[in-house]
Amino acid sequence: MRRLLPLLLWVQAMLAIPALVEAKVPRKPVELVVTEPYVEMRAGPGRGYPVTYVVGRGDSVEVLFSRTDWFKVRAPRGPEGWVRRDELAKTQLTDGSPAPIPPYPDFATHTWELGAAYGVYNHQNLVAAYVDYAITDSLDAELTLQQALGTIDNRYLATVGLRHTFIPEWKWLSPTAGLGTGVQYIDKSTPPQPLDKTNQVAYVTLGLRGFITKKFMWRLDWRNYVVFTKENDNKEPEEWKFALAVFF
Amino acid sequence: MEIRLGSVLLIAALTSGCSWFHRGAKAQPEIVPEPADADTSIISPQVQRRVVKTPKIKAKNFEVGVNFGALSIQDFGTNPLYGVRLAYHVTEDIFLEADVARSKAGTTSLQDVFPNITVLSESGRRFTYYDLDVGYNVLPGEVFLGRGRAFNTALYAVVGMGAVKFAETDKFALNFGVGTRILLTDWLDMHLDVKDHVFETDITGRTKNVHNIEATLGFAYFF
Repeated sequence: MRRLLPLLLWVQAMLAIPALVEAKVPRKPVELVVTEPYVEMRAGPGRGYPVTYVVGRGDSVEVLFSRTDWFKVRAPRGPEGWVRRDELAKTQLTDGSPAPIPPYPDFATHTWELGAAYGVYNHQNLVAAYVDYAITDSLDAELTLQQALGTIDNRYLATVGLRHTFIPEWKWLSPTAGLGTGVQYIDKSTPPQPLDKTNQVAYVTLGLRGFITKKFMWRLDWRNYVVFTKENDNKEPEEWKFALAVFF
Repeated sequence: MEIRLGSVLLIAALTSGCSWFHRGAKAQPEIVPEPADADTSIISPQVQRRVVKTPKIKAKNFEVGVNFGALSIQDFGTNPLYGVRLAYHVTEDIFLEADVARSKAGTTSLQDVFPNITVLSESGRRFTYYDLDVGYNVLPGEVFLGRGRAFNTALYAVVGMGAVKFAETDKFALNFGVGTRILLTDWLDMHLDVKDHVFETDITGRTKNVHNIEATLGFAYFF
């Protein structure tokens, strides 16, 4: 079975290729018709850039791409410029349907989260990066990669876990709880060396999360680990960390 | 137990494979032949379901690039540095950045006087760091090249944390700096950065905070 698995994965990959190739067809720029009296085009993607061109009602613009809250468009006679998201959202497609400008993700029902954290693990400085996928509004799966840097040793941790958000619709502050498992690797250059460099860990976690603005959020997490060692006692290090994240 | 688990995996893999296959194939509309004795006076409607495809606007918020420059490692001279950068622009003001870079320390001034002293081993001279930063575009603007060309720019500040591996030990490091970004095209930009990496070390015998300042030139691709 183990030998079959790579073969299966290969077959899967081969099957996926046609679908990916199909998706690679070059896209035509989206054409939007101005329905408000006018739309302002600026020299750059920022609030302070000067207005360089104005497109009047009834004219259409080609949308080339977006960067943050700004869309680069081409006017009918050729000049290009940047239009603010909320202005472009008032335009229409050529068939009269509303412009395909997606609204900001809703914090209570967002799907993905990508963040970085600073913290303390086992009295060591901790640097962490994590990705979080919402299975439902209140249940998330989380993958965390972290490095704890101490004076004696240096530890890498990779963990996966599930986390429950008690009241996801509480925007500014909502408690969370979860549990998970992972691997800890101890990198130590000076003796005595640990009995095992790689150990399995499990953890329980309690935390808080909240919305900051637009796509930003924060998390404060406490974790209590059990490190399964070959020694007589399992180690139980504690961890605190504060994360800033972007959600989609 | 393993066989049962294996067969479950196999079935799951095959069914998902079939679904991929189905995705790849074009869905052909099924043609139902009209019965021969159909009354031709009745027009049977041949309405095809309209596929509504909302057009998508490509977002270019990610930046990936390379940096080259010089790193001044405190007590160990100034040396070439090369690295890679990944950034995500969240708003017109704020971006997140991850950097990995590498340099190699030279000799200390002590070694210049006493050439036989070894302070760091060959592998210990490697200086490698990674950073997770948040950046703020403090002064966005434009620069001009001659009469007919303008490029968007931004002077930004970054602050963050990460780890430095030097003298074969990993240290927690804070970093901060300023940089300027010039957008050469919609998809290519040029960076000039000055950044300080601060960490605590006892390589030279006394525990102290060391400042390691880098100056780099970088190019990045927006996608």
